[in-house]
Amino acid sequence: MVVGVSDPVRTLYRTLLAYGAFAILILIAGVAEYVHFEPFTSSASVHAKAVGVYAYDPATKQTSGPDRERFARNEEFAAVVDWSGLPDNITVEAVWFDSFENVVGSVGPGTPSQLRSQTIVPAEVPQGLKYHLPGEYIFAIERLDNGRPVEVIGRRVVYVER
Amino acid sequence: MSAFSTPTAANPRPRNRPARYILAVVIGAVVLLVVAGNSLLDYVFIDTIPGRATLYGLVAVALIALGTYIQARAFNRDAVTRRRHLIRAGVLLGLAAMLWLLISDLFLFAESAGPGVAAVCALACVPTTAFGLWVVRRIDRNEKEPWRLVLVAAAWGAVVATSLVIWAETFWDAVAVNTLVPGPGLDASNAFSAGMFEELGKGVAVLLLFLVMRNEFDDVVDGIVYGAAVGLGFNFMETITYMTNLYAILSPEGSGGIAAGFQWYARQVLGLFMGHATYTALIGAGIGIARQLPSRRQKVIAILTGFLVAIAAHFSWDAWLTFFPIETSLFGLVEVHLRTIVMTGPFTAAVIVLLVMGLRNESRALYEQLHKEAGGGAGAVLPAEVDILASPWRRFGERLRALDKGGLGAYVRLARLQTAQLDLAMERWHRERQEIDTPLEAEQELRGEILTLRRQAAF
Repeated sequence: MVVGVSDPVRTLYRTLLAYGAFAILILIAGVAEYVHFEPFTSSASVHAKAVGVYAYDPATKQTSGPDRERFARNEEFAAVVDWSGLPDNITVEAVWFDSFENVVGSVGPGTPSQLRSQTIVPAEVPQGLKYHLPGEYIFAIERLDNGRPVEVIGRRVVYVER
Repeated sequence: MSAFSTPTAANPRPRNRPARYILAVVIGAVVLLVVAGNSLLDYVFIDTIPGRATLYGLVAVALIALGTYIQARAFNRDAVTRRRHLIRAGVLLGLAAMLWLLISDLFLFAESAGPGVAAVCALACVPTTAFGLWVVRRIDRNEKEPWRLVLVAAAWGAVVATSLVIWAETFWDAVAVNTLVPGPGLDASNAFSAGMFEELGKGVAVLLLFLVMRNEFDDVVDGIVYGAAVGLGFNFMETITYMTNLYAILSPEGSGGIAAGFQWYARQVLGLFMGHATYTALIGAGIGIARQLPSRRQKVIAILTGFLVAIAAHFSWDAWLTFFPIETSLFGLVEVHLRTIVMTGPFTAAVIVLLVMGLRNESRALYEQLHKEAGGGAGAVLPAEVDILASPWRRFGERLRALDKGGLGAYVRLARLQTAQLDLAMERWHRERQEIDTPLEAEQELRGEILTLRRQAAF
């Protein structure tokens, strides 16, 4: 093989390896970000109960009907949480995320006893829109540590149809 | 040594197919198995629209695999056999494309926005993608890749790679949504998924071209061309998906057209060369550099590094996009451009650096080989032609002169002659570097062809 010290292909190879080193730094930063927001050792072994997701009337602020997994875009809906089984030494919040991962409703953060009166968490239509965005909505009951969500202790996923 | 003597070939063609063909078959088989397994699992356990589409899309994928195989077989055959193989391959690839578009329309695009909107979105993306492919092919100024291979690369990106991605990402997403904390952690997880699966899906196409079409895969420049073509194909299909999806989501709010139009601009104009085209070009660059490296270890490292850089580039966009929020005011329009330039621009610049270095190496090597060939006195390249052949502009000037004197026919004949002469120089370059497995006789056949072309091109 005729590849000497001055072979320009070797220069290309070295340039590529330099890019590779930079790529490794990016991926390490990505793993660090993931671990920071999703720590492996943070489980508190508690579970919150999302009782269900129901049709919701904003006027009366009450839910009605059976627990459902699918809603139309023009339907209002809300999750019901049972905070009673949780220890009071943790900080929690309940959040609705729409299909674009925007927060579209929440209660908390607070201790379970502080949130006991807020059992209904409606998913709100984003400002400027007339209907819910279609797609998968995640309702997450999160445990917080130093103000940052570190664990999902209860979860429901519902689908808003097109 | 006379150019017309018959010495032993530097690297005689092995009696059997080279080992790389076996590797290509193994990779192809693995891709098909993954495709089949994923689609069946999706269908059984997820039963989403992509699940159904991918299951029915298996036929399209099988047709593409068969068509690509037949097309690869067409090379190094006599003209009649080659034509027959190419026609068969063309029919199969055409059928696959039509079947896939039908499936996609039915289950993905048409279901979300309706067939009319899907058709408009697809039509809007055709000219921009075609322009992208034209530019990408043009940048290989010394030896342009055949349109058929550039289009096969783009078709793989649009049809096969997107299919692989749907299955893999659907699984990953289903697991992540049910286990992770929504927010930056989930964003990072999804970005890893997109970076790995999408780049692997696209990169396999470039790798297969490298393994099977070695004669048309010379160096880093070719790798960048094929990689970018795969990326443009992927971007084509992804843009249609985003346009139709956002149209369906926002049309009840009265802003579906604007949202779809914005997606078109962001992906087909602003990000045409910056997004997927850049990422897969990085994979292609790695494979193209590997093409000319001496040891197997270095080849593997170069290929893996190309993939790694592409995955990191793609990951950084998907994971950190939210750190560059866009205002809803008019300044948001400026921010959209700045965000793309700041986040993807450095990677595009990295590709351009490799491209410029590759072009410079190639030009220098071709000049040297043309000079040596002219000095050999075989008549395939004349001393007076060396400077002209070494310069794309002067070659073009000569062709224009031929057009002026002999019409379009003369232009085409001279273009064929110049292409064959550059092919010969390229062959000599690879042989000098001992990175070619076609026999020396092939080079002598090429000289004979050039002499015939020269007679035809005389005006």
